[in-house]
Amino acid sequence: MSPSKEPNGVTRSGGTRREFLKILGATTATTAAIGCSSDRVERLIPYLNHPDETVPGVSTYYATTCRECAVACGLIAETRDGRTIKLEGNPAHPLNRGALCARGQAALQGLYNPDRYRGPMLRRNNRLEPVTWDQALQTLSQKLGEVRSAGRAGDSVFINGSETGSFPAFLDQWLAGFGMPAHLSYDALADISVVAANRQSFGVSWPALRFSEAKLIVSVGADFLDGWGATVPQQLDFADARAKIEGAPRLVYIGSRRSLTGLNADEWIPCKPGSELAIVNALSGAAGASLDQAAQAAGVPAATLERLGREWADTRPSLMLSGVTTSDAMAVALAVNALNNAAGNVGVTIRPAEGISAFDTVSSPAEIAEALARMNDGRVPLLMVRNANPIFTLPRSGKFAEAIAKVAFKVSFSSYPDETSELCDLVLPDHHPLESWGDAQATTSVMSLQQPTMDPVFSTRATADVLITLAKGNQTTAAQYPAADYRSWLIGRYEGGASAFAKALETAVIDRAAPAVRPLRTLATVTAPTPLESQAGDFFLTVYPSAVLGDRGANKPWLQELPDPVSKICWQSWVEVHPTTAARLDVDPGELLTLESATGLKLTAPAYIYPGIRQDTVAMMFGQGHRSSRAGTDALTHRGYPEGTVLEGYGRYAAGVGVNPLDLLPAGFESASGALAWTSIKVRVTKEGGYQQLVTTEGSARQHGRGIGRALILTPTGLRDADAPEHEATPPVTAGDPPATHGAEAAAEAGVHHFPGDASHEFLPGLRAPVAQDAEGGLADTEANDKGMYDPKHSSGMANRRWAMTIDLARCTGCSACVTACYAENNIPTVGAAYQTKRAVVEPTPGGNIHRGREMAWLRLERYYEGGENGAYEFDTRFVPMLCQHCGNAPCEPVCPVYATYHSPDGLNVQVYNRCVGTRYCSNNCPYKVRYFNWFGYGEPNRPQYAWPEPLNWQLNPDVNVRGKGVMEKCTFCVQRIREAENRASLEHRAVQPDEFTVACAQACPSRAITFGDAASPDWAVSRQVNDRRAYHVFEELNTFTAVVYLKKVNHLAPGQTTAAPATEGAHGGGN
Amino acid sequence: MTTTMRKWAAIPGLLALAAAAVVLSAYSGASSDEGRDIEQPLPFPHPVHVKTLAMNCMYCHFAAGKSPDPGLPAVATCMGCHITVGPKKPDGSARPGVATLQEFWKKGQPIPWVRIHKVPDYVQFPHMRHVNAGVSCQTCHGQVQDMQRVTQVASLNMGWCVQCHLGESNPPFKARYDCSTCHY
Repeated sequence: MSPSKEPNGVTRSGGTRREFLKILGATTATTAAIGCSSDRVERLIPYLNHPDETVPGVSTYYATTCRECAVACGLIAETRDGRTIKLEGNPAHPLNRGALCARGQAALQGLYNPDRYRGPMLRRNNRLEPVTWDQALQTLSQKLGEVRSAGRAGDSVFINGSETGSFPAFLDQWLAGFGMPAHLSYDALADISVVAANRQSFGVSWPALRFSEAKLIVSVGADFLDGWGATVPQQLDFADARAKIEGAPRLVYIGSRRSLTGLNADEWIPCKPGSELAIVNALSGAAGASLDQAAQAAGVPAATLERLGREWADTRPSLMLSGVTTSDAMAVALAVNALNNAAGNVGVTIRPAEGISAFDTVSSPAEIAEALARMNDGRVPLLMVRNANPIFTLPRSGKFAEAIAKVAFKVSFSSYPDETSELCDLVLPDHHPLESWGDAQATTSVMSLQQPTMDPVFSTRATADVLITLAKGNQTTAAQYPAADYRSWLIGRYEGGASAFAKALETAVIDRAAPAVRPLRTLATVTAPTPLESQAGDFFLTVYPSAVLGDRGANKPWLQELPDPVSKICWQSWVEVHPTTAARLDVDPGELLTLESATGLKLTAPAYIYPGIRQDTVAMMFGQGHRSSRAGTDALTHRGYPEGTVLEGYGRYAAGVGVNPLDLLPAGFESASGALAWTSIKVRVTKEGGYQQLVTTEGSARQHGRGIGRALILTPTGLRDADAPEHEATPPVTAGDPPATHGAEAAAEAGVHHFPGDASHEFLPGLRAPVAQDAEGGLADTEANDKGMYDPKHSSGMANRRWAMTIDLARCTGCSACVTACYAENNIPTVGAAYQTKRAVVEPTPGGNIHRGREMAWLRLERYYEGGENGAYEFDTRFVPMLCQHCGNAPCEPVCPVYATYHSPDGLNVQVYNRCVGTRYCSNNCPYKVRYFNWFGYGEPNRPQYAWPEPLNWQLNPDVNVRGKGVMEKCTFCVQRIREAENRASLEHRAVQPDEFTVACAQACPSRAITFGDAASPDWAVSRQVNDRRAYHVFEELNTFTAVVYLKKVNHLAPGQTTAAPATEGAHGGGN
Repeated sequence: MTTTMRKWAAIPGLLALAAAAVVLSAYSGASSDEGRDIEQPLPFPHPVHVKTLAMNCMYCHFAAGKSPDPGLPAVATCMGCHITVGPKKPDGSARPGVATLQEFWKKGQPIPWVRIHKVPDYVQFPHMRHVNAGVSCQTCHGQVQDMQRVTQVASLNMGWCVQCHLGESNPPFKARYDCSTCHY
């Protein structure tokens, strides 16, 4: 019942219930106060010496370099009171230009990982036991001496995680000083076949890709938006290209499975794995390459390839990319390079002169395997491994763990316990990159510097410093190392010395030409896998690396909790099966499937029914399935390990999660480049009974006509609504149309068609939400001069702002970086770890809380399919970042019995945690389902659900409250950033400037799809965006007057096509 | 009329609850930590420093004007003077606490002060906005310059905050009183 309102606006009755609750509340509060002592003593610990230039409570920002993958994006690390609390992209960096992916964000959870090595460990009595640094260094020094005096130093192996910059050369110099050969530089995820082909074709490892110059992009299995190559720069440029709308490139994806890039494509050509070379050769019109034969081999209609061939020939400039992982990958990459060259794309869309240096130093996986084979023969006396985990990232069938066991002395510099380090005899844990000095070559002309952003969390030491200490202790090498540590060594080599170095650290980006590329070694003894076509088995197996987890993300709860951008599954492994195949095999989602290779290797995982995969192919993601040797629930306890506990496996977050598809693969490498052949086998798929509920955050993959994610189709005559049936097709919107600022009626009068849901004038400045108007009438004394803060003339000026957001779906790629940025900024708990599900009768299950719908993602990335209902390969995908819409007329507000949610004068839908009593009525009434309830005390250290075991809690944002049990929470539009900007402006006696700050999701977004600002002021970028011709509100028909405006996605048709259905009809290749 | 009747019928119940609340709150003293007075690891006499030596509050609480956090003096700040100003006055009488302070400094340990003023985690209190608006330290912290040991004078309850934000204090200040000004 709504309160009856007197004409003067004073609320009379209906207040009784509230009054009653108020009294009740007071009583309980008092009882509670009696119950617990208020004499809890909290300590205020001052500094001994205050560090210069820092102010308590005010952040310091350090520019440094991200080392989570090889690309080396620039970071700005926000540090508060000595702790790094947030990572953002460095706007001055030429690669990521201020954006940052989910893995980059999650570097913080590596830094504060509760399972990090606390200090050096030495194997005694067949167990790793803690030792002092002196003991550890003495042991290694002694071993180095022994190996050398035995004359076997030349057989030693050092495997370093691939990196660019000064360290590789420094390391080789050190190794040479001890008579050891140069190190191997390992990157499990680098596309070595493409690197090798690029070096051969263009002379650089990775040319800059200019998607924005292209009119047609053809990706042959290259997931360039999500994990392949230099993802963030590629995504930035691709989004800029697609945002051009009329001049935007069309994207065609060729592959057996739609990756995230595939889902963003306008057209998918589902080809059989291994048929890519035939397709590319046919497109190039090479001698002897017939289109019909290629179509036959690929299982796609010849007409489709013919049309693509014509389009490729007619469109300039274009861009074709290869990211194939079969055993002929390098041949495909070379053919693609040749096609680009013939089409005149080199220098236009492919810029070797602006190369990215990330892969300049990398060795091939075959080189690593070859070294491991030498170990197996007992020829290696000493192995050192840093920042690499070959046991996890190479197929188990290669028996590499057994090989490593045969090395007399094994040293790991790993920061975390992992499959490789637990085999070692000595662990000298390295600093996290956010604790250490270094540098990385970003592009052929730019170097990115790396500096510590805080003091080390644990008793670790930078490997470079350890190497210097060891060298100083050795008579023959001591003279070469006059520098005290690696920092001094770097400064010593820096032109201009210490002061210039300090100056350069302000942006951490300097001009420096890249050193010569380190060549890949061609190996004579590479084992190539059997060609796919000649293998026995029912299904092709496509194995692809997870873009979210990478090869080392499984121990970070943010990444575990981030649903895979394609499948929306987290904390789990799955097998992707086409709906038609699933029907044929009678498989339901979550039913366990056993995959068996021809050599008898087996693996079991739950089925995920995915329309974006061929019927004759199954796919599995690599990134989970870390071995966890700590048995039983012991591994799953969240409580701090007792001092001196031996850690094994890959930490509590990876323990017991998923399987590793590499366990199925043969140790087969591509003979030309030495790349691991990820897609190299066929498997038998059987259903052996059993079920594992999928850990998914998705409700439905279909929109059911709700119009949440909308799209337009670009036709030669303009934009057309993609979802309207042909006969009701709306008149095209052309660029010349006036923006929809006049609302539906005015638009109709002006003869302009108004799409339902288009942003209309009600949204725009001047709107006072009905609740705000009500509040003004109800709370303010209408006779007084002061009508309250909802009055735009009020001295606080709050009502002059209307915070709002636009999300451009033509830019959004669904990569989900915004989701992790939101977790990092807003202290959102992760709930899916197995230990958090621990109850008296329930077995700890990873993702158990997510089964019950307890995830807390304030911002989630919804993914919807349009079309393809009957198992057809043609469907369109809509990615919709969904967050609190900050409705002007919010359905959540009137149902709250305690006024815990209300509309603020500056346009925020506010959730007041301390008022909330947890009725959850608001969530029930929210049409967008963006409110999340704290079912457990995720912030209470003594509860099993505690989300931030020490020292993960060091990352918590001090500007944001950690919500308690029984409280509803949701997106706040980063109100802490709004208030901080207001505070800063007030200190400087000025107003908040347009676009002075932005929210965390918009800051991170690598496709720049999100714009935030004050829609009431024309000077903010967001107020231009809300007037875009593609603007619409989700569920506008509910009169919610949302503050989030979406801009419709734009799909591009193939030449000659007039309808949305792509021309691959009849492409339902049989199940082989 | 029936509605009105029912409403009246509810009143005795509500009154009973209200009475119970009053009794309970009287029994508990106060729901806040008003009057909180706890021994510190060493006796720091604010009056000597503020009144006798005429030191400004922001000499030690240096960030109060530029940060949400007022700042706590580093031990080195104390030692700036107390390296020479020792535990004994020239007349031989004791300066209580200085010996303890020097002990902390020698051991390289920070002083574990006990926190007196605390607002809950769901309240954001930016000191600099208040200081720069001309709100004196004493408005919230009481006459600290007269306190041999700091106690909590104001209740720091929301009602106490809001009366000032509404302009009902003397001298009157006027500020935002929207929930999202402080609660997030």
